[in-house]
Amino acid sequence: MRAVIAEDLALLLDGLTRLLRDNEIEVVAAVGDGDALVHAVLRERPDIAIVDIRMPPTFRDEGLRAALTLRERVPETAVLIISQYVEGTYARELLADGRGGVGYLLKDRVMDVDAFVEAVRRVADGGTALDPEVVAHFVGHREDRLAALTPRENEVLGLMAEGRSNASIAEALVLTVGAVEKHVASILQKLRLPPSDETHRRVLAVLAYLDSA
Amino acid sequence: MTILRPLFTSATYKSLLFLLAAPLIGGAALGVLIAGWAAASSFLIVTPLVVAVLVGFRGAVGLLAWCDAGLGRALLGVDVRPRIGSGGNGYWGRGKAVVADRSFWKQQAYLALRATVGFGMAMVELALVAAALGSITYPIWYRWGKGNKLRFGSWHVDHFPRSLVLVPAGIVGLVVAAWLARLLGRAWAGIIRGLLADGTRESVGASRHARRLALGIHAGVAAGIGALLLVIWALTGHGYVWPEWVLLPLALQLASHAWIELVEDRPRLRPGGSRAMSVHLGLSVALFAFLALVWAVTTRGYFWPVWPALGLAIALVVHAAIAWVSRGNRLARRVDVLEATRAGAVDVQDSELRRIERDLHDGAQARLVALGMNIGLAEQQLDKDPKKAHEHLAEARKAASAALQELRDLARGIHPPILADRGLDAAIRALAAHAAVPVSVDAELAERPPVAVETAAYFVAAEGLANALKHAQASRINIAVHERAGAVVVRVLDDGRGGVSEADGGLHGLRQRVEALDGTLRIASPGGGPTVLEAVLPCER
Repeated sequence: MRAVIAEDLALLLDGLTRLLRDNEIEVVAAVGDGDALVHAVLRERPDIAIVDIRMPPTFRDEGLRAALTLRERVPETAVLIISQYVEGTYARELLADGRGGVGYLLKDRVMDVDAFVEAVRRVADGGTALDPEVVAHFVGHREDRLAALTPRENEVLGLMAEGRSNASIAEALVLTVGAVEKHVASILQKLRLPPSDETHRRVLAVLAYLDSA
Repeated sequence: MTILRPLFTSATYKSLLFLLAAPLIGGAALGVLIAGWAAASSFLIVTPLVVAVLVGFRGAVGLLAWCDAGLGRALLGVDVRPRIGSGGNGYWGRGKAVVADRSFWKQQAYLALRATVGFGMAMVELALVAAALGSITYPIWYRWGKGNKLRFGSWHVDHFPRSLVLVPAGIVGLVVAAWLARLLGRAWAGIIRGLLADGTRESVGASRHARRLALGIHAGVAAGIGALLLVIWALTGHGYVWPEWVLLPLALQLASHAWIELVEDRPRLRPGGSRAMSVHLGLSVALFAFLALVWAVTTRGYFWPVWPALGLAIALVVHAAIAWVSRGNRLARRVDVLEATRAGAVDVQDSELRRIERDLHDGAQARLVALGMNIGLAEQQLDKDPKKAHEHLAEARKAASAALQELRDLARGIHPPILADRGLDAAIRALAAHAAVPVSVDAELAERPPVAVETAAYFVAAEGLANALKHAQASRINIAVHERAGAVVVRVLDDGRGGVSEADGGLHGLRQRVEALDGTLRIASPGGGPTVLEAVLPCER
């Protein structure tokens, strides 16, 4: 797998590069700002771009803007945003096009190396990975659209939003995979998501979840 | 001096202007009401066309009410936005909606009142002001003019000293007119609130954009009426140019409106001081120009407008003199305010720094110590007991996570990232999105205010919201942010049970924070609600 990293703090850039290389992910470019990221991705066409939000020159949301540009211009490259803070608004913008291959995690998550690498691979494969913090922001502020869901289905949807697979959800909630599959099918049906491939529908469900806040 | 104060505040002149608009609005209202009722009742019997008539009638009434409420907003400071349409579905449904719409009937009542009582008030004010100005200038008029001599019953003005008696009488008349204008203005504000307010209070305060729009509509309506009259005049065989008698007052009203709008947009002019002076000066010039034009289109003989001009000039000179004298007092008061708010600013900054220090000390620092200790222990045990070392490392990772979480919360409390990234609008919307009750946000800022203002405005919204959620048991909250006369105004409104007191530490700190920027914080929270928290933060651009 090939990755491009955009991070302006040298300490983190080095550590992240090492972490990915140790886990058999090739880092083909490591850059320090949004413009350089877009150029590097256009040149290298990597599987995934791992992007920090706050970067020079303005130290605002450069990274996010660059990532949104990439989603539009290089749809085949997945984008994983990593940041010191999470904002529901940003998560919504990233997911707005309803496609997978996108993630938004706190930088803290690199401390659990296995889970982080798993998230990188999942996003690169077209899945999603939302930080539990983002998901937590939205818990308890639902609109009618989600009112039809049972409490258990809400829990399942929350974990789906994090990007977990059915097997992982089953493990977390101490259920059988079959039971989780049933819940997921029921959620997709209650949200009246158009039939299409499974990943796409899962992303739409997550989007519905975020939009309901 | 307090008794003279209304003469020198712009609010008086605004009230006066509002009252004097009665003939214009009232005339239009009378036309609309009579035409509307005549058309509606004649169509009622025969055809389904009555629905179209009703909807049109409702629109005209709503539009007039909306215009007058706009005037009220600009001149009386009443924040009311009447509905223009009644809604309804389908052809018959719309007709029914009009009839069932309470606001429609209340607006008609209001317009009828404006056309009758309002007209009367305008005439009284006009007569009073004219008589007062006439009296003040009477001695000059007596000495050098060649009009008829005055007589009140058996009391004749037959020598010069006696004519001087009329000057103080005129001044008293002016003072009475000013007080009356304020009183009537306040009464009208109450009437507007009672008859034009809808159940839902939407956003608050007249934004610059809305005021500009009002001026545009005023200009358009005036131009339309003028053009119409000129066309009628041209079609009815020219002759005497009678439309001038409508055009001149229209022009006077429009010029006054435009001038007030211009002065209102100058943040550097302090209310009550030079702003009142500017309004006064501008209106005097407009009035003189009006009289001069009246002279020009009439006799062109003896230049009588010189006398009212003299009265206006004397009033201006007196105003300027009093403003100059009170300027010293104002500066002294200003120094007091600045001293107090600076002390408050130092206070609030100090306690803020202490809080941050304490949070760092008890939180992140302690976690980092634990982290280092766990790593040290792991190092020690690495060879002897790898399983134990593993446990210590897991502990270390947990401590690092917790430290990061605490630092993140701390940073958010100092300056939220989304505020820095996206500005006030997005930050407040993010705040609203996380609230447990529905929060509506009306934010209209043309450009980003200075960082200090932006941060303070954000914390006003955050604190107001937290307050409403925590204490008020509100079911609906509105946060409005807009620009008014060079200041950012933030208002948080909730429908909770009220009774918020500033003794709550958060609000006191907030006040200090706002006042440190030379702003003002207003909290209105009667028992039973609603609660309004409003901060005005001036920004020098």
